[in-house]
Amino acid sequence: MSLLVPRPDVGEFRLRFRWLALIVVVLFLAVVGRMVHLQLMMGDEYAAIARENVVRKVTLATTRGIVRDRKGEVVAASRASYDMFVEPKRITALDDKGNPRMGDVWRRLVELASLGDEERQRYEQKILAIRGRGGARAEQQIVLMEDISRDIVAALMTHARELPGIHVVPVSVRYYPRGGVGAHMLGYMREVDADMLAELRKQGYAEGDRVGASGLERAWESYLRGTRGWEKVLVDARGARRPTREDILEDPKRVEPIPGRDLRLTVDARIQDAMVKAMQSELAGGAALIDVRTGRILGLVSKPTFDPNQLSGGFGKQTVREAFRKLFNDPLKPALDKTLSGAYPPGSTVKPFTALAALEKGLIDQRMSTVCRGFLSFGKRIFRCTQSHGPTSFHKAIAQSCNVYFYRLVSDYGLTMDMIAEVAMRFGLGQKTGLGINAESSGRVPTRAWMTRRNKGQFRIGFTVNAAIGQGATTATVMQLALAYAALANGGTLYQPQIVRSVETADGAVVQDLAPRVRRRVTLDSTYRQLIADALWGGVNEEGGTSSRARLAGLDAAGKTGTSQVSHRPTNSEELDNIWYFNRDHAWFTGYSPSKSPEVAICVLIEHGGSGGKHAAPVAFEILQAYHRIVEQDRQAEEKALGGRASP
Amino acid sequence: MSLPVLPRGISTLRELGLGPSNLSGRPRDHIDWPLFVVAAIIAVLGVVNMYSATSVYFGTTRAGLAEIYINQVYWLAIGGAVGAGVSAIDYRHIERYAYLIYVAGVFSLALVFVLARDVRGASRWINIGSFSFQPSEFMKPCLIVALAKYLHDDPRSEPRTARELIVPVILTAIPGLLIAKQPDLGTALMMGLIFVSIMAITRIDRKTLVGALATVGIGGPLLWTFALPYQKARVTTFLNPAADIKGMGYHAYHARVAIGNGRALGNGYMNGMQNQYRFLPDQYTDFPFPVFAEEWGFVGAMVLLALYGFLVLWALRIASQARDRFGAVVSVGCGALIFWHAFINVGMVSGMLPVVGMPLPLFSYGGSSVLTITLCIALLMNVSMRRYSGFSALSRL
Repeated sequence: MSLLVPRPDVGEFRLRFRWLALIVVVLFLAVVGRMVHLQLMMGDEYAAIARENVVRKVTLATTRGIVRDRKGEVVAASRASYDMFVEPKRITALDDKGNPRMGDVWRRLVELASLGDEERQRYEQKILAIRGRGGARAEQQIVLMEDISRDIVAALMTHARELPGIHVVPVSVRYYPRGGVGAHMLGYMREVDADMLAELRKQGYAEGDRVGASGLERAWESYLRGTRGWEKVLVDARGARRPTREDILEDPKRVEPIPGRDLRLTVDARIQDAMVKAMQSELAGGAALIDVRTGRILGLVSKPTFDPNQLSGGFGKQTVREAFRKLFNDPLKPALDKTLSGAYPPGSTVKPFTALAALEKGLIDQRMSTVCRGFLSFGKRIFRCTQSHGPTSFHKAIAQSCNVYFYRLVSDYGLTMDMIAEVAMRFGLGQKTGLGINAESSGRVPTRAWMTRRNKGQFRIGFTVNAAIGQGATTATVMQLALAYAALANGGTLYQPQIVRSVETADGAVVQDLAPRVRRRVTLDSTYRQLIADALWGGVNEEGGTSSRARLAGLDAAGKTGTSQVSHRPTNSEELDNIWYFNRDHAWFTGYSPSKSPEVAICVLIEHGGSGGKHAAPVAFEILQAYHRIVEQDRQAEEKALGGRASP
Repeated sequence: MSLPVLPRGISTLRELGLGPSNLSGRPRDHIDWPLFVVAAIIAVLGVVNMYSATSVYFGTTRAGLAEIYINQVYWLAIGGAVGAGVSAIDYRHIERYAYLIYVAGVFSLALVFVLARDVRGASRWINIGSFSFQPSEFMKPCLIVALAKYLHDDPRSEPRTARELIVPVILTAIPGLLIAKQPDLGTALMMGLIFVSIMAITRIDRKTLVGALATVGIGGPLLWTFALPYQKARVTTFLNPAADIKGMGYHAYHARVAIGNGRALGNGYMNGMQNQYRFLPDQYTDFPFPVFAEEWGFVGAMVLLALYGFLVLWALRIASQARDRFGAVVSVGCGALIFWHAFINVGMVSGMLPVVGMPLPLFSYGGSSVLTITLCIALLMNVSMRRYSGFSALSRL
């Protein structure tokens, strides 16, 4: 019977099935062992790797602080700018001969962005050149247009699906609504370069960041910039975001960015405007208006100015390059802050301090007088006066700016260079004011030792004669003189100038209120102060006073003009062509207002302006008048507001 | 009449398949349900897993890939129908035409060189209209059938010497070399493994065995010098996977991370992180196991391995009960085919073996692979169903 027939494997195949089964089991157990190793023993490590694969930290941009003037008007803020990037490879095609040509997407773009023919051709050349060279660059996104207009942005974003390979990317750029007004004080922004980055990286800066390059933007960078935040997101192997497994994110998932601090300035934008307007017919110079009771700067203007918007990158790199070229090729040196960084011979504006030195040392009293014949010969040299003043008293010497009177203090009364230097330095000349923005010049107050050293051991009394009228080696900045006169006006308090009134959060809460800072109390005898104050009043208001012709009706001011000689060595052909201009005297006016109980001190410098009385004083008076008008406006507005609240 | 002597460990006739119901001679009364059910479970799991694996393509430019699990269902249906047909025909008919089947397979392999289209630098496919198939896949069962026919016709009880192995070696070498030339080293290797597995149930002369091992020992390194750069790269990457995570080692590395990330209980269905975040390339062809292991964890991986293990051991059981030598060898060959595919694929994705293009049976996407596996299952079913029918082979023993 068939059931009894032995199986066919008996013989050759027999026991071998068991061996095969054993091998199968052993090999499967090896796989099982591998699973135990991978999933049970190493599971946590692999889970960590898997998590690492998908979790990315993306930085969240912060916003730079806003700068406002004294009254809250915005003078520096940020705005969104849109740049257009293209991928050359995706928007071009190769024709039969392998030459690149523009693709259909490009035609659509030209239509949507309504590019002009000339513009279109320029872009096409650029794109085709990159495509022609090939390589990685043809596949990367390259910037084609910067700061494109809102209309085009809207059009491109609406039709984004029809425009593969074209990307519109928002970037934040600094915006200065007032353009060139106060540009030196505010400063501008620049992109960090590799060298700066080496230094700044540990402070959290990265490629493409912008950093304050000058002015307040630079000095207050750490307050303004804010802190970046970050967020953990899940991205797949291709870098696309996929939020499906957000449960695996560990806390903290997100750190909010902290916006930069806002700054409230002491400066009044309306006063700035008035200063710019007053100086509009002048080519170059600087002016500062300071509250004598606090040292707070109300207005600070340097001419010629520049547009920080162009330098800060908002209009594209090309604009930045051009703006910089213009900035550094202009013989009138717009890059220089003429209120702080430029030091000029102060001329007669130092006379009150020379006089004060003579009075304090007891060399003269107010009764001292002399006769001015228009010059004084001293040794082999003749020192000139502006005119023949005739009999000249102490009062007249300052009010009408008689040089001979001051020459005689040196030649006949024993006034030395160090005596002058001591008083000048006491009022802050020859030292940095400590405003802290821009590279401040300390000016120069020569001493006997310094002059001797500079002249190879020779000291001539003529140096002192020059120093007495602010010529020769003496230089000063607009800011220094304004502060020195503020100290004269307020009875001897030399302030450290202040430009930032307070630091505020984005929602307006004051974080830090900055109080005025006194540099020192200057020893100033009230009798002498009165003598000088009278003379400064005379200079503006008396017949024959140096600035009396520029006097404006209704303006109560006191001050001193200065006309400092320059001997200019031209450094380039443009300067040589205009040598008549560059050899003209600097015109100064510095003073305060009102003359009794002064509120503000002013210093105006018109570079190569000619005479102080004719060119600087009118500017200063116009500014002072504008100041009083604005103060009056504010007072009335305040009264109205108070009255309005009380009436109903 | 005495009762038959029962094999060791089997105490009743019923267990031996000799119960009253099994005494009926009709093959369809002996359908091998365990074989069918286990294979069906694997196929269902494969489709379910493929749905998750390709779900990452939803809403992308390759959204079509998210639909391929439906194709896989079609292939399984076709495979099931073909398999039903194949198991309905008594395998004696297959035995009769075994060499013809073999020659047809070799012919289609040769055709590849004429009609091939290139996929990733290798020509493995033949297009017939919109339909393309991989002759090398179908060659595997053809070879099994041919070797079975040879051993069936050449019964011996004394050890086989080298001279007597020449025919099976040639039978294996012809398709093996053709496939290696495509080049498809993985499939060529599979041919060799099928040959070795089948020959393992025969008795081989000791000297011949030593000689064969020596040949492999010397020939292996020699083969290395002829290997193509990409093949060498796969092996070197395997030996030092950390050296090249972004390049060649990418697949292997992320597959391993996915498996490890499954830990004991898995991330949950449709939730495998490495897969969902698209770190697993080819997750529906050669790398479905990491997707499964990540989502179902160690527990799931053990279940799947147990199912494959059962299938292979069951094939050996079928072989041991086959009514004739042909059935036994075919069963061993089919079992070996399933075993080596599963072992090499899982070994490869878990970093035990170098990366070789080897589909995971019933898990990997592809009509050729699905049809080959279902064909093997059908052959096993055929042998299993006819273990009791007339011992026509008796005369040949």
